[in-house]
Amino acid sequence: MTERPDPAALDLLLRRCVECGLCLPTCATWASTGNEVLSPRGRLVLMQDLLEPTGDGDPGALESFDRCIGCRACETACPSGVPFSLFEFGKELAAAARRKGAMPVDDPAVPSWLVGRLDRKPVLRALGALRPLAVGPRLRRLASSLPSAPGDDAELARLLDRLIGSRQEGAPRPADRDSATHAHGTGDVAIAFFTGCTGPSLMGATSRRLVDLLRHSGAAVRIPRGQDCCGALAGHTGRPQDREKLHARNGRAFAVQSKCDWIVVEAAGCGLELKGSGDFGPAAVLDATEALARLDLPALRPVPLKVAYHAACHLEHGQGVVGPPRELLRRIPALELVEPADPELCCGSGGVWSLEHPDLAADIGLRKAEALLGTGAQLVVTTNPGCLGQITSAVAALGAELPILPLSDLVWYAALG
Amino acid sequence: MDTLDDLLEKLRGVLGTDGLLTGRAAGRIYARDASHMRLGAPLAVALPQNADEVAQVLCLCAGAAVPVVCRGTGTGLSGGALPPDGALVLSMARLDELGPVDSHSRTVFAGAGVLNARVTTHGHGAGLAFAPDPSSQHASTIGGNIAENAGGPHCLRHGVTRGHLRRLWWCDAAGESWVSGRGLACERGLDLVSLLCGSEGTLGVVTGADLALVPSGAAVQTLFAVFPDLGDAVQAVVGMAGSGLLPVAMEIVDRTMLLAVEEAFAFGFPTDVEAAMIVEFSGGAEEVAADAATAEKILLAGGASEVVLAADEDERRDLWRCRKKAFGAVGRLAPNYVTMDVVVPVGNLPRLVRDIQSIKEQYAVGLATAFHAGDGNLHPGVHFDDRDPEQTRRAHAAADAIIQRALDLDGSVTGEHGVGIEKLPVVSRMLDGVTAQLQEGIKGAFDPRGLLNPGKKLPARGTDYPEPKPAPSGLRVDWESLTVTTPANRPLAEVQAALMERALWIPVGAWLPRKEGNPGLARAGRIGEMVEQLLPCPGLGAWGTARDMILELWAETGDGRPFHAGAPVLKNVAGYSLPQALCGSGEVFVRTVAATFQVRPIPPAVGVWVCRPGAIPVGPSALGHLLDAVRSYRGAFPGAVVWYETDGENLRGDCVVMVPGRDTAWDLAVLNGRIRAAIAEAGCDCAHHEVTGFRESVERLEELGLQPDWAVSSATWTTLTALPGDRGHVIPGTSRGILYQLNPQVWWVPEAAASDSPWYADVVWENGRATPPAPPAAGVPLPLLEGIKRAFDPHGNLMTPQWLRS
Ligand SMILES: Cc1cc2nc3c(=O)[nH]c(=O)nc-3n(C[C@H](O)[C@H](O)[C@H](O)COP(=O)(O)OP(=O)(O)OC[C@H]3O[C@@H](n4cnc5c(N)ncnc54)[C@H](O)[C@@H]3O)c2cc1C
Repeated sequence: MTERPDPAALDLLLRRCVECGLCLPTCATWASTGNEVLSPRGRLVLMQDLLEPTGDGDPGALESFDRCIGCRACETACPSGVPFSLFEFGKELAAAARRKGAMPVDDPAVPSWLVGRLDRKPVLRALGALRPLAVGPRLRRLASSLPSAPGDDAELARLLDRLIGSRQEGAPRPADRDSATHAHGTGDVAIAFFTGCTGPSLMGATSRRLVDLLRHSGAAVRIPRGQDCCGALAGHTGRPQDREKLHARNGRAFAVQSKCDWIVVEAAGCGLELKGSGDFGPAAVLDATEALARLDLPALRPVPLKVAYHAACHLEHGQGVVGPPRELLRRIPALELVEPADPELCCGSGGVWSLEHPDLAADIGLRKAEALLGTGAQLVVTTNPGCLGQITSAVAALGAELPILPLSDLVWYAALG
Repeated sequence: MDTLDDLLEKLRGVLGTDGLLTGRAAGRIYARDASHMRLGAPLAVALPQNADEVAQVLCLCAGAAVPVVCRGTGTGLSGGALPPDGALVLSMARLDELGPVDSHSRTVFAGAGVLNARVTTHGHGAGLAFAPDPSSQHASTIGGNIAENAGGPHCLRHGVTRGHLRRLWWCDAAGESWVSGRGLACERGLDLVSLLCGSEGTLGVVTGADLALVPSGAAVQTLFAVFPDLGDAVQAVVGMAGSGLLPVAMEIVDRTMLLAVEEAFAFGFPTDVEAAMIVEFSGGAEEVAADAATAEKILLAGGASEVVLAADEDERRDLWRCRKKAFGAVGRLAPNYVTMDVVVPVGNLPRLVRDIQSIKEQYAVGLATAFHAGDGNLHPGVHFDDRDPEQTRRAHAAADAIIQRALDLDGSVTGEHGVGIEKLPVVSRMLDGVTAQLQEGIKGAFDPRGLLNPGKKLPARGTDYPEPKPAPSGLRVDWESLTVTTPANRPLAEVQAALMERALWIPVGAWLPRKEGNPGLARAGRIGEMVEQLLPCPGLGAWGTARDMILELWAETGDGRPFHAGAPVLKNVAGYSLPQALCGSGEVFVRTVAATFQVRPIPPAVGVWVCRPGAIPVGPSALGHLLDAVRSYRGAFPGAVVWYETDGENLRGDCVVMVPGRDTAWDLAVLNGRIRAAIAEAGCDCAHHEVTGFRESVERLEELGLQPDWAVSSATWTTLTALPGDRGHVIPGTSRGILYQLNPQVWWVPEAAASDSPWYADVVWENGRATPPAPPAAGVPLPLLEGIKRAFDPHGNLMTPQWLRS
């Protein structure tokens, strides 16, 4: 459990807030409800309640933190530099209260025992396999919010070819793309690849293509054994000890790769957790887009599509990675990059948050889907599996059609597809 | 009477459980706003979804005698949204409907809860923007902007929120719903829109508004200048005001402010300077480039050490983000601060800045200032740590000294942040006893039981007030601050002639003195009439009506009590906006004694096109083509004029288009191509085109056989409620028309329009005399007008229209 902040230190941090309210419009729970109890400025007021030694605070305050998605858009917006990571403490108290049943909660999309087990790969894999069988509104909602991406390369290529209308012949293909010399890449940069839970269980093909792309961009890539979930979900569901254990296990798994330069993470949510979780020696933890932007990509062929980039909060606000994904997309010839209105607003995924708050998540998702549709884009790309699932189901709920892909899959297509 | 529990139960019935917050968390959060002040704890927070629910909530609260405090997003800086103990907070956040942009009339409907910046984003596709852009624009609501009469950097050119409201939907304290404004920029009668705007939620609850949009400039150039001396920077602003250039914005931040912003966002701005200034121009591409070049010279000559032009849209956006994030970044400087909102005539700005510097030293306090410099409005923030009582005392004393200094320099205690509770102790220094009584009378007429936002805006009864400011005996021009103060009995022609000496005028569209003793002007054009009747004249180059230009008013009530309201400054929200509200109200409420107006440069050049129908008769659509060409033009000066004559169906004779511009070389040349194309498209010939001076253009008209005299001496004038628009451009029943491009909705026709015309509104001028104001349209609360009439003219000594005799 995060330590109870020292009241004097906290007081100083809280005093940085000038209550200007510039954070309100960047907060998805405020934007969707208009209720300032569910706003960052409001939550700062409630932080003080939580500090009172008498107990764990007013249920209203806990509920407010429970509903905080943790997207950190407020931190980007704040001119006074309030560290909104402060909310983690409130969110942990809320998660504990939720487990104890000490707080009124929304009717969750799936039972909480299951939510707490979604970081187990067999569970995810089973859910993925059962997806087509999902019956009843709750299961359907769970199933539709699980991320997925085209399983085989040909399917991905077909999808994009179809969007483009006709296949664009452009840059030359690397002749030897599957030859043995590229099995681990030859490059100067040694990468240890972090797969996360969804990678192997639900989106294995995307991970494989990403590794392929990194290798063709001149990196030597290894996938350390013994790695596990990043621990974010354990934190969100009030299991701090499990989270610590996962951090330690990953630390050990990656320590073996003593000669690696970068640890590259595919999902933005995992990246945030890993970047914050501590020591990986001299290796830098990088999001996949950061890594790709620093490498020499193979020649890219034109992709004449209007593509909307949905910035995953954990990348944009959490990790502060703003430039690299956009830069990658701009490198693809003929691609027109657009962004939705209110780009800073979260899509409402937030890992398992959307399962715990299905109604609010659905409303927030609809707003995001409308904004994305409003761009007139033919394709949406993003960097977090959670966002992928959430936006897919929101677009479907609107009865619209707008394909959504992992950003790395689009780059793979331009480079190697 | 209901118990509070009954009330809450009924409110829940209207709003649903999700729409009524009664918990401790909500109570704590909604007891605060950006002012950092505290007042009391609310009974509950209501989150209505629509105007109908707002009305029901108000009605229920009135029934239980529970006070109501309206709230947008609580970004207000004077504590306006703070509830006293036991009041209901009425949050407008969920009224976020944004209607389609009407690019023809350049208006859009916005619910009170719509965030300001969203309106501009929404208009972007149509090339339109909502001009008032407070630094809080991403977070503050339209309702809050209206209630505070918010300003912003771009209000230098376009004016504050009030001038951008075409229609207001609002509820009174009893929960009755009303609509004020008929969609016009100029409408006679006591202007309720002017009263509601800036009333801080004490008179009515605004649920939505038709907002006027301005064309975003075809080209924009933004200069960033740094100064080793703050005094020089401020002096340069005065220089710029007197140069005839028309920047859309002129902002300054001082060194301390700049450091805080740099720390927050690392824009890479220099931090070893005393002041940084942003100057922006917007309009035709070449005109803007030339203006920016001239401005750069003025700034360098004025002591700027460096002037750079924003290279692209990204750089420009960074400059504005720096300015707009400045206020929020003060949290980095000290745990507490008092922010002021003083405003002085621009010419007095250098003196105020010098005095603030000595006050800072005298009281040994930390201070950072952001300026809406072009408006003379500045926000000095005194920093302190409230854990140190001595420091706290000194900070408040320094703030009081700064405010008093601004008042001594003919300024106001608040330009845009409002009185709220914060400025109650000082606002009384700006009112005299009669004005204060009249303000209370207005409050009483709107909200007799005092349930709307009690204890805000107006000083408590029994406060001591200074003597009224003496009325001026003669004409006084402040050439540095660009204002003119004049007794009401002076002919407008005389005032304009004095201003003309330095190429300035009151840009209200009243025609210029052409010959000695112009009979029309001599008879009709006294300043008093201009104020009382919104004197209608064709207005080449006009920026609005007298209501848009008036800053200060001396008048007498019906029973002869003299009073003074307003201040000779460009922004002022201390008290209700009496000068603007009374402007155009006829002689029904007060007798005008004197007034101060802002003045602006005359357009240096005028393009004239004479268009002649071809052999075949041309229908109304010909005119439509011309109007569209004029309307699409986004030059530096508004106020194009189009003359036409029709035989009721087809255009007859020549049509004349006149458009003011900065110079012969660029913007008018661009327009020339467009107008000629439109003329050709309309099946007409361009018989004549020239670019001439402003005065000469009047004579040209006469040579063309068009008598500008009929502008003022014609028998009858009609103001129309709407531009005919797509239905064809000829107004039924009339044979001559004039279009003011100032605002696409302002039309005056010099004869009576057929009263069955859908656009007919108000005959304002008959046989050289103003007619009494027409009865208010349905939807205007008559008892309210009667109440205000009683406050101003208790014995009915002044003109009382039939409809006001109850
Ligand atoms: C960082 C920052 C920068 C700012 N910059 C500027 C600036 O450049 N220019 C400027 O003018 N102001 C500025 N302000 C002040 C503030 O943003 C404005 O006063 C804004 O108009 C308030 O809007 P709001 O929605 O937050 O209203 P609130 O603060 O919620 O309310 C303000 C007042 O309006 C009343 N009110 C709100 N909605 C309604 C309604 N629908 N009907 C009737 N009454 C209503 C309330 O009762 C209250 O009295 C700034 C504030 C901050 C924090």
